[in-house]
Amino acid sequence: MPAAPETTRTLAQALRPRWGWLLLSFARREVSNRYAGSVSGLAWTLFHPLAQLAIFAFVFSQIFRVAVPAGYSAATYTTFVALALWPWIMFTEGLQRAMGSVGGNAGLIRKVAFPHRLLVYAAVLASVAVHAVGFLAVIVVLKLLGEPVRLSGLPIAFLLLVPYMLLAAGLGAALAAFQTMLRDVEHGVNIILTMLLYASPVLYPASLVPASFEWWTRVNPIAWFSERMREVFLGGAGLVTGDFIVAAFCLAVFAGGLWIFNRISPHFEDFL
Amino acid sequence: MSASMQARSGALVSLAGVAKEYPKLSTGGDRLRTLAALLFRLRDIPHFTALDDITLEVRRGESLGIVGENGAGKSTLLKVIAGVVRPTRGTVRIGGRVGALLELGSGFHPDYTGRENIHLSSALMGLSRREAHSKVGAIIDFADIGAHIDEPIKHYSSGMVVRLGFAVATTLTPDILITDEVLAVGDESFQKKCVQWLEQYLSGGGTLLMCSHSMYHVQTLCRQALWIHHGRMRLYGDAFDVTREYLTYHEEKRRSEPVVAQPSVHGPRVEAAWIEDIDGREADTFETGEDILLQAIVHEPDDRPPALMVGIMRADGTPVYGTHSNDTTFRPKRIEACRFAFCFRLRAQALIPGKYTLGAHALDAEGLRLFHSVKMDFVVTGKTRDYGLVRLDHEWLPGREAKGR
Repeated sequence: MPAAPETTRTLAQALRPRWGWLLLSFARREVSNRYAGSVSGLAWTLFHPLAQLAIFAFVFSQIFRVAVPAGYSAATYTTFVALALWPWIMFTEGLQRAMGSVGGNAGLIRKVAFPHRLLVYAAVLASVAVHAVGFLAVIVVLKLLGEPVRLSGLPIAFLLLVPYMLLAAGLGAALAAFQTMLRDVEHGVNIILTMLLYASPVLYPASLVPASFEWWTRVNPIAWFSERMREVFLGGAGLVTGDFIVAAFCLAVFAGGLWIFNRISPHFEDFL
Repeated sequence: MSASMQARSGALVSLAGVAKEYPKLSTGGDRLRTLAALLFRLRDIPHFTALDDITLEVRRGESLGIVGENGAGKSTLLKVIAGVVRPTRGTVRIGGRVGALLELGSGFHPDYTGRENIHLSSALMGLSRREAHSKVGAIIDFADIGAHIDEPIKHYSSGMVVRLGFAVATTLTPDILITDEVLAVGDESFQKKCVQWLEQYLSGGGTLLMCSHSMYHVQTLCRQALWIHHGRMRLYGDAFDVTREYLTYHEEKRRSEPVVAQPSVHGPRVEAAWIEDIDGREADTFETGEDILLQAIVHEPDDRPPALMVGIMRADGTPVYGTHSNDTTFRPKRIEACRFAFCFRLRAQALIPGKYTLGAHALDAEGLRLFHSVKMDFVVTGKTRDYGLVRLDHEWLPGREAKGR
């Protein structure tokens, strides 16, 4: 058994504890890359979720006639969906971009030494930053249109977004690591994400889920966050015990994902 | 703080028994097996060895040149030291901030302007925002690419990218600078600027690790050199010794290939030619100042005394000196019918250390037509730090005040 590799960069590490600036630079680059070369730029990233919302609102409220559950009867279906849709888009986009972040920065990874996990964080951060702006704008517009949205729910919604995005970062990190070796991962994940959207009460209320599938809604963190967003903004709910349990779960996923990522990241250069 | 770390570890860079194996990934099964091996720390994956058993130490203020053939593992070694590649076995200890220029424009994003890339690169080197901002002006000055700094990098010429890369790596004054064959790309004046900067950096206590195919750069910039051959250390020591051995190796490799010879029509031919030292022993390595003797036997079918032309070229093909036996009253010695012997004694104290090619060309009796050539290589060794083509006779004298001041 050969000796385990040991790479000590003691002083180097001591000299550069401030990776914050690099993380910020990466995140900024992520954001600006999205509208590089397009004329309307950032507007597209705001317009895209709006278009999705319009489609879902039309299909589900006009054709399938999904009713808003009794507790939120003052709100329209559009409001009901919007509150869960934006966090979901942050989650999926953050996850997908995190997953592609290692392959997308192959040139950098092959030639420059830096903590690779920053790429994953930056991908999620950028996705949150971009869609948080859209989310805020939509909430304000809904409020102005007379929807019963409580702006006082914003701080708690923000707190809930933290574990939600940690979940995205953790899954994204593990998938990014797998992706470097198995290019199949990306295709599989995109299908699973589409399934997950319809299998979670984002576009419909959890109350519509048949009893035989209720267990799934109970263990699905996406379901939890989606329902909680509505409770917070429409019902004025505060934090509950369940939030902490889900947050602990998300944190565990994040830690696990990062463990996998860190295990494989010294070998990225071998595969890229 | 760096001083205390210094004192403890002694060396700024120290590698012990470093090996790097790359997994072989030809099938999907290989990929899955490798993934599992990495996650669960197994070691029985198919691989090839890029580096093996590398042990070296570089102290502050030292400079190490790495030479070797293409694919010998030079770049992998630099990547290991730069922290881009984690070794499969062995330990790597680095005691300072590393600035690595592993490739032209490494870490640059093609769509970003030069200025934006400076910010990103400095962040990649671990600088804070404030440090980065304070250095931008100096970097732009050193790169000296004018208004192009606000254009996307993808519109740059490769020379401009190198300028910018070198400017970034150097202005941030790392404790250890690592460059991989990047000096070769810039234009002459920028190369000079880089070499000048590197010399200043070294005399100021900087530490340099460079990989180069230019023995001239290795000899002028590095005190120590390491020759890597098929991923292993072949020779490690004084830069002059290592580069000389390396060049000799190449020469031997080439000698097994056929020599330049034009089978000519009816005319004189160089039947035999060799280089020897003053004691008459065949040699190809000479100390600076040692006399070099060229012996040549020319066959002239008409039994008329032929002329011999001798030319000395540097290894890169630059002519150093040439002369002609017909310019003097010299007549070759007729050993027997149709065979003439020449001896050419070169007082070579003017040759600065390096590798040379000596050409012996047989001409007809009138010295007008060239019939046949033979080329031989020799090496001049020595530790002078002279520059240029030849060493001119000179001396240093005490100076005095300018007249009329």
